[in-house]
Amino acid sequence: MQHFLPHFPPQLWPPAASGMAAEIDAMFAAWSIVLFLLVAPVFAFMGYCAFKYRAGRDVDRSHREARNLTIEMSWMIIPFLISLVFFFWAGDVFLQEQTPPPDATVITAMGRQWMWKFQHPGGQWEINDLHVPVGQTIRVNIESQDVIHSLYVPALRLQQEAVPGRTTQLWFKADRVGAYRLFCSEFCGADHALMAGTLYVMSPTAYQAWLEHANNRPTLVSGGRQLFDGYGCSGCHTPGSATRAPWLAGIYGHVVPLQDGSTVIADDAYLRASILEPAKQIVAGYRPIMPSFAGAISDADLASLVAYIKSLSAGNEPAP
Amino acid sequence: MSPSDTTLRDLHVPTPVIDPPDDYLHVEQTLSSWIFTTDHKRIGLLYLVSITVFFLLGSIAAGLIRLSLIVPDGEIFSNDIYNRLFTLHGVIMVWFFLVPSIPNTLGNFLLPLMIGAKDVAFPKLNLLSWYVFVLGSLFTMFVMIWGGVDTGWTFYTPLSTEYADSYVIAAVLGVIVVGFSSILTGLNFMVTVHKLRAPGMTWFRMPLFVWSLYATSMILVLATPVLTIALILLFAERALGLAVFDPANGGDPVLFQHLFWFYSHPVVYVMVLPGMGVMSELITAFSCKRVFGYKFIAFSSLGIAAIGFFVWGHHMFYNGMSPYAGLTFSLMSFIVAVPSAIKVYNWAATIHKGAIRLDTPMLYAMSWIGLFVIGGVTGLMLASTALDGHVHDTYFVVAHFHYIMVGATVVAFLGGIHFWWPKITGRLYSEPWGRISAFLMFFGFNMTFFPQYLLGYMGMPRRYHVYPPSYQVLNVLSSAGATMLAVAYIFPMIYLIWSLWYGERAGDNPWEAKGLEWTTTSPPPKHNFHHMPVVDFEPYDYPNIAPEK
Amino acid sequence: MSGTVGIKVEEHFHSAEQQRETARLGMWTFLLTELLLFSGLFITALVIRVQHPTSVTAVALHLKFWIGATNTAVLILSSFSMSVAIELSRLGRQRLMLRFMLLTAALGAVFMMLKGYEYYRDYVEHMMPFLPYRSYELAADPASRLFTNLYFITTGLHAIHLTIGIGIMLVMAWLASRTGFLQQHQNRIEITGLYWHFIDLVWMVVFPTLYLLNR
Repeated sequence: MQHFLPHFPPQLWPPAASGMAAEIDAMFAAWSIVLFLLVAPVFAFMGYCAFKYRAGRDVDRSHREARNLTIEMSWMIIPFLISLVFFFWAGDVFLQEQTPPPDATVITAMGRQWMWKFQHPGGQWEINDLHVPVGQTIRVNIESQDVIHSLYVPALRLQQEAVPGRTTQLWFKADRVGAYRLFCSEFCGADHALMAGTLYVMSPTAYQAWLEHANNRPTLVSGGRQLFDGYGCSGCHTPGSATRAPWLAGIYGHVVPLQDGSTVIADDAYLRASILEPAKQIVAGYRPIMPSFAGAISDADLASLVAYIKSLSAGNEPAP
Repeated sequence: MSPSDTTLRDLHVPTPVIDPPDDYLHVEQTLSSWIFTTDHKRIGLLYLVSITVFFLLGSIAAGLIRLSLIVPDGEIFSNDIYNRLFTLHGVIMVWFFLVPSIPNTLGNFLLPLMIGAKDVAFPKLNLLSWYVFVLGSLFTMFVMIWGGVDTGWTFYTPLSTEYADSYVIAAVLGVIVVGFSSILTGLNFMVTVHKLRAPGMTWFRMPLFVWSLYATSMILVLATPVLTIALILLFAERALGLAVFDPANGGDPVLFQHLFWFYSHPVVYVMVLPGMGVMSELITAFSCKRVFGYKFIAFSSLGIAAIGFFVWGHHMFYNGMSPYAGLTFSLMSFIVAVPSAIKVYNWAATIHKGAIRLDTPMLYAMSWIGLFVIGGVTGLMLASTALDGHVHDTYFVVAHFHYIMVGATVVAFLGGIHFWWPKITGRLYSEPWGRISAFLMFFGFNMTFFPQYLLGYMGMPRRYHVYPPSYQVLNVLSSAGATMLAVAYIFPMIYLIWSLWYGERAGDNPWEAKGLEWTTTSPPPKHNFHHMPVVDFEPYDYPNIAPEK
Repeated sequence: MSGTVGIKVEEHFHSAEQQRETARLGMWTFLLTELLLFSGLFITALVIRVQHPTSVTAVALHLKFWIGATNTAVLILSSFSMSVAIELSRLGRQRLMLRFMLLTAALGAVFMMLKGYEYYRDYVEHMMPFLPYRSYELAADPASRLFTNLYFITTGLHAIHLTIGIGIMLVMAWLASRTGFLQQHQNRIEITGLYWHFIDLVWMVVFPTLYLLNR
């Protein structure tokens, strides 16, 4: 049974990774209680009336009113005032959320179809995952390279859209070490559901260690494999991937048939152009869905990647 | 004249059955007399057929979506097909089913009857609105099935203007055309209520269903043009290069959202207000009692329509909009809940000390009240800004709006169809099957959509073709519920159509309800009344002392 | 030729008065929807102006103020001739009414010709950024494209409405030329007039919003 349904019974809410998240949970619990107090009496009352006042039953139906100003005003005003508590409570938390403290560590998040790239103040970057230290105020400046995305971490109870043409922001202070899911929550096209990763909240020492070993400076061909994964290339250019993309093994130096009927030799220039302006030369039989990495990949990384792809001989396919 | 086999099902005073040579259904039966009709009752039926077809197509799309979500890794449909499926589902259900559902079917049929008129103000315009609806909706349907649109029904830019590789232009044009149908309907209804009421039918003697149609028409007339311009701007950018939202040139994609939601929030009140009107009719009829707080309910319809124009930003709390604007929209959203709450309590008070009959329409009405309160309060949860930061764009939102659109609108539609079926068709449907379906609907609906509230709070985003496996159990539960819900929809289609040939003939007023429509024959004659009514009585003037047995 | 003037009452109305009032209310309601349609464009113009004030001014200086102003006068004249036509319809003066209706349509056509010339000048002056094969005068100011594009969308939508109006005017004039028209359908002239006045009114807002405000 456990093998068949490994996640049963399901946990009904994600862990709360910050104080603010815990407050949102409290608010939701309070609202749920109010919801129950508003709904249950309605059902109960209807059931009671349907039974007691059923047509044909001989029961006292005298003094039937068609209007009563006092009752009308009270059941208009009292539930409204009760609900207003939540307006103020949520509004207060909302304003806090929208006002990052001045001493925050700033991380930039760049969303594009269909990946996130995070950059730390020291230059370290990562794709889809985000490592942060526990107990420190983090502010994320969020941008988009193409369409509207949204950076969402359920454990923080927080999300903020990445809108092209402007920078939005989100801040948090995680107080629990752990690994938490990170999603894109604004529909952004074909692989919207795959634009996900993990927020790693680490102890200060673990975070320091991570910073030292993180991708910081562009490296050699041997790092090319990491880049191939890190930039998301392997997501599509791997046998068995859900998205059809040309296999790259053995491609260097060979003839590539293009959609317009012409052919081209896969040399260094072609490999570079395919990464920066993929829509210019579409391989025959494939759809023009590869996103452009222009502006998202440094020249040194690009050189590493091209070197890596060149190194893939026909028997050396990128492993799934 | 009266065949001996037409016994009435109810046990109250039998009314003579008029053998139908001259009712609106039988007076002429050629195809062209239907396609070129200007009779509001026939146009209502033309719409009924059209929206039922779209409901079926939209439901099939929903079924495929729920099927796909049984497994977490998207094995059943590719991402592209899944994205086209939920776009298809949204576009069809919102514009080709929900918006026209009650107003254009029950509203068209009943509005003139309820106010004692012979037809709507502009009968030919009424027919034109149906032609425009069919033209636009069929075109959009064709486009979406031929190649598909994969932007979601919300068409956010720049995804829809620059990055989507699908038939956005054609789909948008089709929706613009259907928008004209909405505008014509709203215009027709508003003018009808102002100018064609029977002598003695003052505003405060009108049934509450008419008030709700009037408020709905206000929204259709004022909001739809803004959708038209939003889509025209989208079309201009994508098809003609006339870019206004393009961020590469300093344009603001959020501007599209403002224009879009300025219409799309009020349109949800277009979907719910007519259902509320139906509730007033069903609850009074099946409690055999005057409505409690007539004026409050009437004004609350107008209030919902008016305040509903000022809340659109609650769809946009987290897109970089000013937080103070967000708080304003949040507060307005709390305020708009007030008139809705009034109605629910008033209906509960109407039931109290009534003489309740638990026929199918009443079962739907009671379902409606419960499901609407849940949907409405979860709406307030979403309007609570900080809470929305967690559940925005998750299944919590999906559950909320389905509780209103299905749990309220579809339920009201079904309740109304059953209630007025004898009037429209002259036949009675099978009451036992009606009750079975109503129960199935209630349980199937909750089983489908309640787990989605939980999924949303657990953090499952919407519009995902794959999801982390820990969300699977609730997804499977939801899909199982959808199967029950499908059966609950199929049953009425079967027994209602069956009743057209084999159902008992109905008398003028099988429910013993008050309202001008029940004073004429079932089905009504072509010009609605044999003798035009003069109104000198209050609405819902059920006897104040409950009847004996 | 003058004579009695009136309307034929349709089946579902009980009096001519009811029918007239209904038709009038219907047209006013329709015009309300048109107002909201154009309001979306005016709001967009305002937003672009707030977000990119200098770019908008740069574009406004390239708009042909005098053509716009002349067109404004042409439309005002056309509304005047329409009002005269309506008054003549009430008096039963069918032939003269038709002349004024045709004059109204002709003035509308003058507007369209001036507009066409204006678009031609925009093309010549490289003020059509949406043409991919032609350079754009203000290419150094990308945000200027937004307002330029909006100018074309707004004036284009207005021109479409005006063309429809001219078409309706011509069709109505043809129908109204038959004998007995004013005895049966006089109020149709009034309803047509309402639509025409509205097209004029929209231009009264378009002209200042695009041409005047941003100089």
